[in-house]
Order: sequence, then structure tokens, then C-alpha cells
Amino acid sequence: MALLEVVNLTKRFGGLVANDDVTMSVNEGEIVGLIGPNGAGKTTLFNSIAGVYNPEKGKILFRGEDITQYNPEQACQAGIARTFQIVRVFKGMTVLDNVMVGAYLRSKGEADARNRAIEVLKFTGLYPKRDYLASALTIADKKRLEMARALATRPTLLMLDEAMAGLNPTECQAAVECIRAISREGITILMVEHVMEVIMPISDRIVVLNSGKKIAEGKPEEVSADPEVIKAYLGGKYVARS
Amino acid sequence: MLPVAVAVIALVYPKVFRLPYPQHVGVLVCMNALMAVAWNITGGYTGQVALGNTVFFGIGAYTSSLLLRDFGVNPWIGMLAGMALSMIAAVVLGYTTFRLRGYYFTIACIALAEIVSAIVVNTRRLGGAVGVTVPIREASLINFQFHGTNKAPYYYTILTFLAIALLVVYKMERSKLGYYFRAIREDEDGARALGVNAAQYKLIAFMMSALFTSMAGTFYAQYVMFIDPMSVLAQPVSVSMCLMAVLGGLGTLWGPVLGALTLIGISEATRVTLGGTGQAVDLMLYGLLVMLFAVFQPKGLMGMFGRLKARKE
Repeated sequence: MALLEVVNLTKRFGGLVANDDVTMSVNEGEIVGLIGPNGAGKTTLFNSIAGVYNPEKGKILFRGEDITQYNPEQACQAGIARTFQIVRVFKGMTVLDNVMVGAYLRSKGEADARNRAIEVLKFTGLYPKRDYLASALTIADKKRLEMARALATRPTLLMLDEAMAGLNPTECQAAVECIRAISREGITILMVEHVMEVIMPISDRIVVLNSGKKIAEGKPEEVSADPEVIKAYLGGKYVARS
Repeated sequence: MLPVAVAVIALVYPKVFRLPYPQHVGVLVCMNALMAVAWNITGGYTGQVALGNTVFFGIGAYTSSLLLRDFGVNPWIGMLAGMALSMIAAVVLGYTTFRLRGYYFTIACIALAEIVSAIVVNTRRLGGAVGVTVPIREASLINFQFHGTNKAPYYYTILTFLAIALLVVYKMERSKLGYYFRAIREDEDGARALGVNAAQYKLIAFMMSALFTSMAGTFYAQYVMFIDPMSVLAQPVSVSMCLMAVLGGLGTLWGPVLGALTLIGISEATRVTLGGTGQAVDLMLYGLLVMLFAVFQPKGLMGMFGRLKARKE
């Protein structure tokens, strides 16, 4: 059984149909990429799964449990942790304290939360910067901190919203390494991404949205060869390069 | 080292200053510090600028006073009843206002406080606009009344309340509550994404705040022996708590205490030296000093000390 199942999901904003009858699934241990041009409904779908939006029609099942009407904290408590496209680190708190907030979800007491936080900081390489204020970090480190914070909640599914946006190639590479390492820990990953060069090699499967509808799903090479996808999004550039 | 010194000074203060006036100032500082510490839990740590805390102050003052006047209930029991009632009120106010964010939350708080005040003013049973005179009992700790010119017993009572509040906040800072409160202040959506039930934790902060504010309200009633809506259910009460916490340093343990010390100091000093001219020069100077602080010390006095410390290192 799939870890996450989205069934016939429709989400409207007034007259605008942001997600139109979308069905997709994420299996345990996979890295799934969610792509599509601007306005395709990626972030809406992402937010519906994370509990920010409550869709009008359709269902979201997580480990068989209906989470369609969950709010963000319930989704996180169920085991879905997320990062934000525009970072939402706790700027006035230290890196360690940021991660502590996440760690408290499944920890007993302060010492336990601190151990968990330190463990995650070491894993993500932020440990040397643990006493920095989050506001003092570079954008790459802020994105990494969001990942660390999400990991501290011990999620089953980690959702990354444009984790590479705004990073330079070196930082991108480091982030990719980090995501691979998280995946090796047995955490399932669903990522929304704009940077094609990044998402293609890392994903086990790709889901493509366009104008709110799912237009393709499959292995990266299948998807990038799909004429529908090329027409909608990738254009000639990517195909020519691969 | 510093906390010990502060504690010693606080304890010997009424032994050194034996006249009623300096002792009265000591009582005022502690009482206002207690209110500011309470306000700081919602306003400072959780970042919800609640400008309606006079409601809890009023509930504390009115509950104990009315229970004593009408049913002869001991004020200490009255204080506990007031605290319980304030927490219930916090839940009701919280549920209705926490959906709102930022300025809208603040406006709703002000409006609700005005409504409560108007209800009391128009309810004869609650003393109406005339207020309630607290019946005089024999002076003793049990009766929560100490007469005469020695105000030291009142001082030690409110100092104990303040110490309890500071201890609770100190513990809170280092616990899950403290982390969650600050996370909500920094970014509510970010906090929720980490499994923090923001609505619930904001309510807990509000209830803690209400509890201590209510304590201060009962103390005020027992100290002044007369309460009316103008003194305990008024906007200036809410604002002064906020002012002291902001001035001292939001979201810090000692900030509100420092703020209360400074503001009461300035207000008493200007009143004593310049008051009585009938031209409100003292209030103008007070306002000016508050503005100067706000402009030059936006992080409060604690922020200033932090900078000095950093420079030394």
C-alpha cells in the first residue's frame, strides 16, 4: 500500500480551480518529484497535503488514514513534516532552539529534545553553527535549517517546497547530498522543485502538473520524453541537453 | 550573583526605608512588575499583543472584594476564585480573539475590555460606577489586611507573588512551553508546521497571564481597599503593563521587573518634584521620557545591558 495517496483531489479558490481531480501516490521510501510550470498547482497540492488547505473534493490518505481535513499541526503530528518555499525559520532564536521546537514533538522532556536536536544538527552539518541566530544564516543554511527542524519531528514523509530555489550550484549539490542522506535514513520524500537539473537525477518518480491537472507520472526519463510534458513545461531545452 | 544581590536588596528594602511613602513605592513597583511579568507571557514570549489584560486585573479585584463584602469570604479564597474566574475568562476571550492576528487581535482585546468595563459600570449589583469598598477586618495575614503606617507586610506579600511569577516564567522559559511560545511569536505558520498546536498554546499563555494579573488585582483591592471601574477596569491599566514589559525588554525574565522599576521611578519622581502645579508637567515629562526610551532603546533596557555586556567581552 502506498504511504500517501491523493485521490481525485479538487481545490478551488473562488472561480480558479487550482487542483483539478488530481490523483497521485507516494510509496514508502521513494523520492517523488512534483513539477510543473508556474501556476500549475504544485504548491496548492503540497499545501493541501500539509493541512494548510482543506480541499473541497477528493481524499488524501496517509498510511491509510484520511487526513483530508487535517490542519497543519495535525498533519505534522501524523508524520508529515514540511519546509517552506519562502523560509520561515524562527529568526530571533538560535539554530539549536529552532531545531528544539521540532524535536519537542516526539520527545519526553528537555534533555531528550536537546539530544534529538543535536543529533539532527550533526546529521545536517549545522552543528558548528548551533549558537548562531537563525537570522544570521545564509539562505542555503536557512533552507537547511528548515530541513533539520522538520527532521527533528521524526517524520515518515518529508515534504520539501523548492528546497533548491535561490541556491548557487555548489549549495545545490550540498542540498542534494543532504536529501539523499535523508532518504537513506528511510524517510520518504516528496519534493516540489523548479530546478530540473536537480530533480531529474534525484527522483525515483516524477509527477507533472499543468493548469491544475496531472498530465504525466513516471520515471524521470519517461516523463522527460513525454511529448505532453515537453509541450507544457520543459520545452526543447531540456530534451536537447539530455 | 546578580539575582542574589537583587533578592537581598528586595528583602531588606522595607527594613531600610521605614517611612510609609518609600514602602508604598516599593509595593507599587512589585505590583506593577507582577502585572508586567504576567503581560510578558502573552505579549513578550508568545508575541500576542493583548491590550485587554485589565479585564483579568478587574476580575481579580472584583471577585475577592465582592465575595468578602457580600458573603464574608476570606480574601485569600477570593483571590483563588478570582484566578479561576480569570482563567475561564481567558479561555472565552482567547477563543473569540485568537483567530485574529496582529493588530486585529489587539483591537479585539481593547474592545472586549471596554465591553466588560461597561457591563460593570451598568450593573448595580457589582457596585456600578460607584465602585466597591472593601470591608475592613482585623489586621492579619489571614485576613489579607494590614493597617497602619507600616506597609512592610503588604510589601512582602506582593514580593512573594512576584517571586512566584518569576519562578514560573523561569521554568517556563526552559521547557517545551517556552520553546513553543517563542516559536509562535517568531512565525506562527512555521510553528504549526512543526506540530505546534498554536491555538492551544496561545490559550495556555493567555491563561497563565490571566492568572498572575488576577493575583495582582486582588492584591490591589486589599491594599487600596476601594475599587471602581475607573481604577481596575480601564485601558490605562492594560497599557501600563505593556509599556513596562516593552520598556524593560520583551520576552525576557527580568525585563518587565526592570521596566516597572524604571517607569514607577520616573512617574513617582516627576510627580513628587513637578506634580501639584496643576499643569501636568510631570505627566508631560513622563511621556517624553517614555518616548525617548522607545526611540533609543527599541529592544528595551535588557537589550541595552546585553549590548554593554557584549562590548565588555
